[in-house]
Amino acid sequence: MALASSVIALAAGVPLGVLLGSYSGRSKRALVVINRTLMGLPPVVVGLVCYMLFSGVGPLRHLRLLYTVTGMVIAQVILLIPLITGSLEAHVSTVAPDIRETALGLGLSRTRILLLLLNESQYQLVSAYLLGLGRAFAEVGAVSMVGGAIAYKTNVMTTAIMNYTNMGAFTTALALGIILLAISLVLNAGVALLHWRLER
Amino acid sequence: MKLPPITKTYGSRGVLDLPALELEDGVIHAVIGANGSGKSTLARILAGVLVPDGGAVPRTGRVGYMPQRSYPFRMSVLRNLRLTGAGRDRAMAQLEAFGLAGLARQNAKGLSGGEAARLALARLLMEEYSLLILDEPTAAMDVAATLLAEELLLQYQARTGCTVILVTHSLTQARRLAGQVLFLRDGHLAERGEAGELLRHPRCAETRAFLDFYAL
Ligand SMILES: Nc1ncnc2c1ncn2[C@@H]1O[C@H](COP(=O)(O)OP(=O)(O)O)[C@@H](O)[C@H]1O
Ligand SMILES: [Mg+2]
Repeated sequence: MALASSVIALAAGVPLGVLLGSYSGRSKRALVVINRTLMGLPPVVVGLVCYMLFSGVGPLRHLRLLYTVTGMVIAQVILLIPLITGSLEAHVSTVAPDIRETALGLGLSRTRILLLLLNESQYQLVSAYLLGLGRAFAEVGAVSMVGGAIAYKTNVMTTAIMNYTNMGAFTTALALGIILLAISLVLNAGVALLHWRLER
Repeated sequence: MKLPPITKTYGSRGVLDLPALELEDGVIHAVIGANGSGKSTLARILAGVLVPDGGAVPRTGRVGYMPQRSYPFRMSVLRNLRLTGAGRDRAMAQLEAFGLAGLARQNAKGLSGGEAARLALARLLMEEYSLLILDEPTAAMDVAATLLAEELLLQYQARTGCTVILVTHSLTQARRLAGQVLFLRDGHLAERGEAGELLRHPRCAETRAFLDFYAL
């Protein structure tokens, strides 16, 4: 599930990040501020909004998404897109002016310039993805509210940790926590390795 | 080629205020002047990447432009040269001419400043233009690379007959390459004229002071 959310968020967040980073119009600053605000969205707020939309009285109730994996993925995608957009925007903004000027001087098209910007952001692309994936694994607020932590269906590691803790099964909860930490370690080691290889 | 009057202000600060100018077709025009005199601003406006106060300067024909900080794209040196669509053989021949053939497969990101500048010039000169704008193309090059680049630029100009705007700090370079010299001071055109004449007998006191300073 975390994989699905992060891949979907990447597909939407990367183009947004490149476009926002290369954009230099008047409203850029406002858009960046809005995105940064969304980056700080508390997961429970996203969970709450999705819950209200999907629930029996919400406008999207006929989609029957509440307490489903699809609903959880949607909530996480909303949470992750600003994160990935922001991470790419920050990098693209720093290199875009020089790249744009050089490419225009060579007579390259706008599309080519966007592709060049994407090509210059390879490392940020991977680290943004892993950032999103890590967040998707770790957050509990959105998935528990939308998913409801139904056993064998919408229960994920973080919601399981909460359940075990409430039941007093601290050892199991702690074991799951350690597994989550190990996943995070593997992801971050992956980023470090990749960075090291790209730098050479 | 006729240019309209050009002005550029940032906020309330005017950085460029030029009268209508005529560029001589097929001639290298050196633009000289102190730091901050507006040389790069002029180059960027003529290249169409910066819009002056009165709206963009109309472009005639194809314009090639090498910015002061030309960007080596994250790909092999050879692929950098093929960005505009050139075939492999032609790109390799160009790298050979610019003394970069040994670096063809290396990622351009790893080049030294002087190598990156040579790459930028080699990449730009793959195509033909009616107006070529170079902003301090040899500033990062050593003496040997500078002389090679100058030679290749002269060959290119003779072959294509393009008009060239060459922003440079080097008076000796202006003397070696340019037919016309435009001297900028604080965003104004202090003096312009035929290169040999202007650099030997400047009429304007500011140009004279500038030349004397560099002659030291
Ligand atoms: N984006 C900008 N905002 C404000 N001032 C600028 C900007 N770009 C250039 N300037 C100013 O315009 C003046 C001319 O700059 P420039 O054309 O780069 O000079 P030169 O290339 O002759 O050294 C400088 O004083 C510089 O500070
Ligand atoms: Mg300059």
